Amino acid sequence: MLKGHLDLIVLAALSARPAHGYAVIEEIRRKSGQAFDLAEGTIYPALHRLEQAGLLDSHWVSAPSGRRRRVYALTRRGERALAERRAVWQQFSDAIGGLLAGTPPSGRSA
Amino acid sequence: MISDYLESLVGALTFDRSLSRRVRQEVEDHLREAVAADPVGDGIEAERRAIANFGDPHVIAGQFAVVSFAQQTRRVGVAIILVVAGVFIAMKARVAWYALMQCAISQDIRTVSGIVGLIDRYAFWLSVIIGIGGWAYISGLRVPAAFYTVFRKQLRRSFLLCTTAAGALVVSVISDGVLTALRLPGTELSAEFLIPIFSMAIEIACAGVLVFQIRTIMQRATSAAALLKT
Repeated sequence: MLKGHLDLIVLAALSARPAHGYAVIEEIRRKSGQAFDLAEGTIYPALHRLEQAGLLDSHWVSAPSGRRRRVYALTRRGERALAERRAVWQQFSDAIGGLLAGTPPSGRSA
Repeated sequence: MISDYLESLVGALTFDRSLSRRVRQEVEDHLREAVAADPVGDGIEAERRAIANFGDPHVIAGQFAVVSFAQQTRRVGVAIILVVAGVFIAMKARVAWYALMQCAISQDIRTVSGIVGLIDRYAFWLSVIIGIGGWAYISGLRVPAAFYTVFRKQLRRSFLLCTTAAGALVVSVISDGVLTALRLPGTELSAEFLIPIFSMAIEIACAGVLVFQIRTIMQRATSAAALLKT
C-alpha cells in the first residue's frame, strides 16, 4: 500500500521546502504522525527516479558537518504532478469514505 | 560499521560509477546524521540502528539498478535519433560532394553499387522508422520502484527496438563504406576525397556510439539481474 504511493509521499514531503534525503524522511515521519515507518534506504532510489522523471531537481551543498549533501527540490513539473496526484488521491479517499460510511454498524441484525 | 555497509552498497553498483559515487556520499551523510540524531549518541549501537533502519544494501542496490537501467535505456533512445540524424547529414554531405565534383561511378561497378545502394537505402530507412518508434516507446515508459514483470517486458521491447534500429544502421553504414570504397580505387588519393573519407569516419563514429550505448545497457542488465538473484 505504502509502496504504491511512495512517489506522492516524497513529493508531498518536499512541497514545503527543498530538503536532503534524511530531512525528507523526518518530514514524512513528522507529517504522518510517525504512521509511515518505511525502510529509510528506499527513499533514495525514489528521489533519483523522481529526479530522472523531471519532477525533482537536486544539487550538492556543504552540510554544517563539512560533508557533501544532496538537496532535492520540486520542479514546476513536480508541483503540477503533486497537484494532480493529490486530486486523484482526494477523489479516491472521498469514494472510500463514502463507501465505508454506508457500511451497517457491526452487531446490527439484518 | 558504516564504512562496511557503504562498501557493500556501493560494491553492488559498480556497473554505474557516477551513480555509485553519488550514492556513497548521500548514504554516508544520511547514516552519519542518523547516528548523530540517535538519543543514545555516537557509538556502535547507534551505527547498528542507523544501518538497520536504512535497509538491506542489496535490496536498495536493486532499486537503484532499476533507475540506472531506465536512464541508460532513455539515453539509447535519444542516441538513436541523434545518431541517425548524424549519419543522414554525413551521407547527404558526401552525395552533395560527389555531385559537386562530378564524380561518377564507372560502368563496370554500376550493378554492384546499385545493389549495395538499395541495401543501404532500405537499411537506413528501417533504422529511421524503428529508431523513432523506439524513442517514442522509451519516452513513454514510467519507471517503477522495482523490476516488476510489466516493466521487464517493456524494457525487453525497448531493447529489441534499439538493437534492431542499431543493426539496420550498422548495415547502412557498412553499405556506405562499400559504396565509398567502390569510388576510390583507380583514382589518385587527393584532397577531394577527404570529404567522403571524413564523412565515412563520422558515420562509423556515430554507429560506434550507438553500439557502445547498447553494450552499456547489456552490462547494466546483467548486473541488475545478478543483483536481483542475490
